Amino acid sequence: MIKKRLTLKILILLIFSDILETLTHLLFKKGALTQDHLDINTVSAGLTFLGGVFSSPFLWLGLVSVLCTFIIWSAILSKIDLSVAVPIASFSYILIPLSSALFLGESVSLFRWIGVIFILVGVFFVSLSTKESEVSLR
Amino acid sequence: MKEGVVFTLFLIALTSACDTINQLFLKSAINSLTAPSGNILKIAKFIFKLILIPRVWISFLFSIISLCIWLFVLSRADLSFAFSADSMHYVFIAVASRFVLKERVSFRRWLGIVFIIIGITIISFT
Repeated sequence: MIKKRLTLKILILLIFSDILETLTHLLFKKGALTQDHLDINTVSAGLTFLGGVFSSPFLWLGLVSVLCTFIIWSAILSKIDLSVAVPIASFSYILIPLSSALFLGESVSLFRWIGVIFILVGVFFVSLSTKESEVSLR
Repeated sequence: MKEGVVFTLFLIALTSACDTINQLFLKSAINSLTAPSGNILKIAKFIFKLILIPRVWISFLFSIISLCIWLFVLSRADLSFAFSADSMHYVFIAVASRFVLKERVSFRRWLGIVFIIIGITIISFT
């Protein structure tokens, strides 16, 4: 069965899952930033770091966001093919550097954007070819 | 390349490898069941059968390891760099699908992999 009708409702769900994924990583980053990162040379320092991050509410909000993304993603995939969903969902490769610059104060250079575009094109090619290879298997 | 970038890339490769192992175990567990069709009851039954398979728990374990390493990565690198570089899991999954699951990987997909590798190389120099 080929499911490929991309309706407005599914598109909105896809954009929503992009935003949620971006939110997840912003929250994880916020969680990681609550701890000192400079000297993680020993196992016990690593465990202290993880203990600290896991006691941060940011991390748990991030995990809730992962769960929501998973549920929305399952709903999307029950309606359309992975080869349609993944290229649209990969816009988080743009959203994340954008929101890193906006909300985390990171400086994203032009050079880095060029790299991001290459990755985006790559992800497009990798995911678009799904159906082609499925067909050839049958 | 700045000092420390190589180590950060190594950590990202480690999370990507854990993600790949996680996906391989999950896919192999799912392959051992028949895919559910249609109603929610059948899907719920499918998920219940799935979580009884030990391979799913191994997969879950690897996703926890992956999250922990990811948090180390985020504590030392820009999110805009780390998330982009994390796309290397596409490379690992394609290679693993080809050689472990014996799937056919199309030319277009290998081309995509080349683009991803070029992109990661470029951002590693920023």
